[in-house]
Amino acid sequence: MRIGVYVCHCGRNIADVVKVRELVEFAKRLDGVAVARDYKYMCSDPGQELIVRDIKEHNLDRVVVCACSPKMHEKTFREALKRANLNPFLFQMANIRELCSWVTQDHEKATEKAKAYLKSAVERVKLHEELEVRRVRINPRVLVIGGGIAGITASLLLANSGVKVYLVEKEPTIGGKMAKFDKTFPTLDCSACILTPKMNEIKDNPNITLLTNSEVIDVKGYVGNFKVKIWRKPRYVREDVCNSCFDCIENCLFEKPEFPSEFDEGIGKRKPIYIPFPQAVPPVPIIDPNTCMWLNGKKCSRYCMEVCEPKAINFDDRGEEIEVDVGAIIVAIGYDLFDARKIERYGYKKFSNVFTAIEVERMLNSSGPTGGEVIVNGKRPERVAIVHCVGSRDEGNRVYCSRVCCMYSIKLARLIRERTNAEVYNFYIDVRAFGKGYEEFYKKALEEGIVFIRGKVAEITDHPINDYEKSEVEKGRVIVVAESTLSNSIVRLPVDMVILSVGMEPPKDLEKIKRLLKLSTTPDGFLAERHPKLDPVSTTTEGIFIAGCVQGPKDIPDSVAQAKASAGDALTLIERGEIELEPSVSEVDKEKCSGCGICVPLCPYHAISMVRYNGRMRAEINPAMCMGCGVCASSCPSRAIKHNLYTTEQIRAEIRALLA
Amino acid sequence: MDMLLNRLKELTNNKYFQCIQCGTCGGSCPYGAYTPYTPRRMILAIRLGMVEDILNSNAQWLCTACQTCTSRCPSRIQITDGIIPALREKSLLEGKVPEELSTALINIMRYGNPFKESPMKRDGWAKELDFEVPTMMKKKSAEVLLLPECFGAYHRRCKQATKALAKVMKILEVDFAILGREERCTGDHVRLCGEFALFEDLMEKNMKVFRKYEFKYIVTHDAHAFNALKNFYGLNVLHHSQFLHDNLEKLKGMFNELDYTVTYHDSCYLGRKNGIYEEPREVIRSIPGVRFVEFKRNRENALCCGAGGGGIWLDSVMREFVKVRPAEDRVREAKEVGADVIVTGCVLDIPMFEDALKVTGLDGEIVVKDIAELVLEALEGG
Repeated sequence: MRIGVYVCHCGRNIADVVKVRELVEFAKRLDGVAVARDYKYMCSDPGQELIVRDIKEHNLDRVVVCACSPKMHEKTFREALKRANLNPFLFQMANIRELCSWVTQDHEKATEKAKAYLKSAVERVKLHEELEVRRVRINPRVLVIGGGIAGITASLLLANSGVKVYLVEKEPTIGGKMAKFDKTFPTLDCSACILTPKMNEIKDNPNITLLTNSEVIDVKGYVGNFKVKIWRKPRYVREDVCNSCFDCIENCLFEKPEFPSEFDEGIGKRKPIYIPFPQAVPPVPIIDPNTCMWLNGKKCSRYCMEVCEPKAINFDDRGEEIEVDVGAIIVAIGYDLFDARKIERYGYKKFSNVFTAIEVERMLNSSGPTGGEVIVNGKRPERVAIVHCVGSRDEGNRVYCSRVCCMYSIKLARLIRERTNAEVYNFYIDVRAFGKGYEEFYKKALEEGIVFIRGKVAEITDHPINDYEKSEVEKGRVIVVAESTLSNSIVRLPVDMVILSVGMEPPKDLEKIKRLLKLSTTPDGFLAERHPKLDPVSTTTEGIFIAGCVQGPKDIPDSVAQAKASAGDALTLIERGEIELEPSVSEVDKEKCSGCGICVPLCPYHAISMVRYNGRMRAEINPAMCMGCGVCASSCPSRAIKHNLYTTEQIRAEIRALLA
Repeated sequence: MDMLLNRLKELTNNKYFQCIQCGTCGGSCPYGAYTPYTPRRMILAIRLGMVEDILNSNAQWLCTACQTCTSRCPSRIQITDGIIPALREKSLLEGKVPEELSTALINIMRYGNPFKESPMKRDGWAKELDFEVPTMMKKKSAEVLLLPECFGAYHRRCKQATKALAKVMKILEVDFAILGREERCTGDHVRLCGEFALFEDLMEKNMKVFRKYEFKYIVTHDAHAFNALKNFYGLNVLHHSQFLHDNLEKLKGMFNELDYTVTYHDSCYLGRKNGIYEEPREVIRSIPGVRFVEFKRNRENALCCGAGGGGIWLDSVMREFVKVRPAEDRVREAKEVGADVIVTGCVLDIPMFEDALKVTGLDGEIVVKDIAELVLEALEGG
C-alpha cells in the first residue's frame, strides 16, 4: 500500500493553530504512507497538481487530504484522483479546520487532535475499495402539476424548446387564479387579455399533452425516471370530438343557471352542464355529477345528448387512469385563499355587505356574474372599506405577509372608484408596495382620492352606539371599527361594502403532493426550496422543481419568473441526457438477508423493496433512489446491508485509530 | 423603570417587543375611543420612555380586563395579563391608586374580602337556606367543593345566585361542602390590578386550606375565581355552567316549562379567556319553553360588563372618561334583540347589569338571572 498524505494550511486558517510541519513528520512515520507534504492551499490548482504528480511519480494507490470539511472540497480532490487515473473513492479527507484549528487556540491540543484524525483517515483509506460511478438515462419528458400562470409559463418554455410536457390540472380548465382576476397591478392590464393567449398556446402546442380535470395519484421512480399515475376524472363530454358550440348548455333541462359557480366564487350561477368561463381551455363543457339530474338517477330527457351533433356527451364516462414516464417534475399547484370565516368579527357570510377580494374580482370582471357592475344588496355602494391583512401577519392565523394583498387592495380601490365613484377607504398596517412600478401605482391611488387609514380593522359590526350610527345601520350599512394609529383616534365608519383582503395559504392538496413526491415544507406550510437564496426552485428531491405560490406567496411577475427558472432547471437536467449515480450507497447481500423487511419502512427515500430471490422474499435497494444515509445498514439484524463507503470494517478502523 | 421592563418581559414572554402597532387592540377596546392611551399607545409610550405620561393620565386604570384586545392581537401579546397589570403595579408602587380600589385591596389584605366584612360571616348566605350546607371543616371530604367567592358570599344580590346553585346541588343530591369561614378571596382581580405580592400571598394561604381537605373538584359561579383556580392555582375546577351541563341529562327530566325570551351574556373569563361558550347555551336551550336569542356581539366578540380587573371598584375613574358604561350599552343590545331575561355566567355581571337597567330605564322590561337561578326556576316550576 502506498498512501499519500497532504496537509493543507488553508492560508492561516489551519496553519496558525495546528503545527502542520509536525503533522507531516507524524504522517511520514505511519505504516503505508509513502509521501507526506504540506501546502498553503491544497484546493488550489497547484495544490491539486501536487497530488496528481505524486500519484504518478510515486505510484500512490491511496490519498488522504487533511484540510477542511469534506462538504467543501471532497469533490475537488476526487476529481484530482480521477485526473491521475486513480479511482476517486480511494480517497479520504480529515477535517482539521472545523474540527481542530477553528475550535481552539491551544496549539498543542489542536495538533494532537489533528494527528488523531490524520491517522484514522489513513487507517480507513487502507480499506477503501474501487467504486464505479453508474450512469442512467434521463427521460426527456417533463410533468407539470398545476395549470395556473406558473404551470402554464413553465410548460410553454419547455414545450417551445422541444420538450414533451404533460400538464395536469385538477380543475376543468387551466388558467388558475389569474383567470379570475379582472385587471392586474400595477399596469391595470386586463388579466384575461394577457392570460388567454397563453392558455390557447398550451392548447395548440403539439409538445404539450393537457390533462384537465385530472389529478396525480401516484409517483414512483427517481430523478430522470419517474413513473406517474394520473387520474382523469369523468368529464362526461368527450374532449376529442366536442366542437365547442355549447348547444348542450343552452338546451339543458335547467333553463336557468341555478347552482353556485365555482369559478365565480359562488356569486354567479351555472347549470349542471357548464363551461367555467368563456375563454376556458379546453373549451369543452363539463357535467357536474352532483347536480345533473340524469347522473343522479332522476328523470331527464337528456336534451344535451340529443342536440350534440358530434355526439360528444358520454354519460358512461367512468374516468381513466393514465400512466406517463417523465424525467423531471415541476410542482406549480399554487395557493388557497384564507378562509375569512375564521375571523368571525369581520362578519364574512354574516353580513351581506362583506365580500372577499376574489369575489369582488369576479364582480368587476365584465364576463363575470354581474357583468362588471359592483352591486351590494341590490345597489351601487357609495362608501367602501377595504380591510388589509385578513389572515396575514397574524400569529393566530398566518404569521407571514402574503405580499400581494396591499397591491391588489389598491387595485380594487382604484377600479371601484373608477366604476362607482364611491368613497374608498383602505385600512392597512403598512403599505408594502415593493415591486417595479408599485409605489407609483400607490401614489396614483392617493392622487385619485382613495383614503388610507393606518390601523388594522378591529371589528365589523351592525350594533350602533349612537343615533347617527343607528340611522346608518338602518340604511343597510355596517360599521367598520379601527384605531387610526396616525391620528390616535378610534374610527367608526359606516360603509355599504366591505372587502376583505384575504391572504394566501398553502393549498389543501399540498399534503397529498408532498407525500407523493417526498417533499418537505417550511414552517409557513409552503414547499421548501433547496436553498432559499441560491437554489430557489429545486427541492430536496432530485428532479423535482417548484414554481409559483406553492413555494410561498408571490405576485404574477414573480410567479412567472420562478416558473421560467424552474423550467430552466428542468431543462438543464434533461439536456444532460444521463446522470451519474453516486456509488456511495447501500447494497443488500441477498444470501445473508433474512427477508424480515425491517429496512423497508425505515428508508426515508422509499428506495427499498422486497423482491423474490431464489424463491424467498429478499430486500433490494434501488441504487438510483438510495441517498446513502445508511439507516438500513445500521438497522439490519442480519448485517446483510453494506454501505459501500461506510463498511463496518472501515468505520472500525477509523474509530480504532482515533482511540489509539 | 427597569422593574417595569422586567415585569413586562416576564408577563408577556418578551412578546411586547413584537408589537407591530396595528391598532387592533385600540379598535377592540370598549374604552378605545375615550382613553388617552390604547394598549398600542401604551406600548409605544413605553418604547419611547414616556411611562410617566401614561401613569399620570390614569389610562392604566381604565381597563376592565375584558381580554378582547389580547384575544385579537395578531402579535399574540399578553396585554390584559401583562402590559396593564405591569403598569398598574408601577402605579401602585408610586402610590397613585384610585381610592375605591385602594380600599378594596386593603380590605382583601386584612379581611380576605373587599367589603370589610368579617370572615366569620362568609357562610352567612348558607344560613339563609332551609337546609344545612356542610363545611369542609366538619366533613373533611366531599365530592364537590362549592366556592362562592367574595361577591357570591357577601353581596346582597349575588348571594341569591349562590343559594340557587346550592339548592340545585341539593336537588341533584350532589355530595358537596363549602369552606365557610376558611375561604378567602382567590385574588384574580388583585392580580389584574398589579398587586402581585398580595396575589401570591392569597394563593399561598388558599392553597394551604385546599390541601387540608379531600374533594374531587371545585365548582364556582364566579368566572374570575374559576380563571384564577384553573390557570394560576392549577386546581381541578368547573365553572357552574359546566357542572350544570355535566348533569344536564338528569336535569332535563326535572325541568318545568318557562316562558322567557332569554339571551346569554358571555362573561370575558368564561369565553374569551377560557373558551367556554357552548355549555351554558346548551343548558339554557334545554329548558322547555325558553326562546333563546343571541346578543349581536356574542361569544369571542361579546361586550364586557365592566366589572373585571377591579373595574367594579374603578367606577369613579371610568366616570372621568366615559359617559356610557359598557353595561348600559350591553342591556340596550339585549333590548335590541328582544330578550326579557339576560342570563349570566359570572356573579359580577348581575349587579353590573341590574345597575345598568336602572340607568337606562329598562328595569321593568328586562331582568338579570344567573344561569343557576334560571335552572332552579325551571326545576321548581316557574
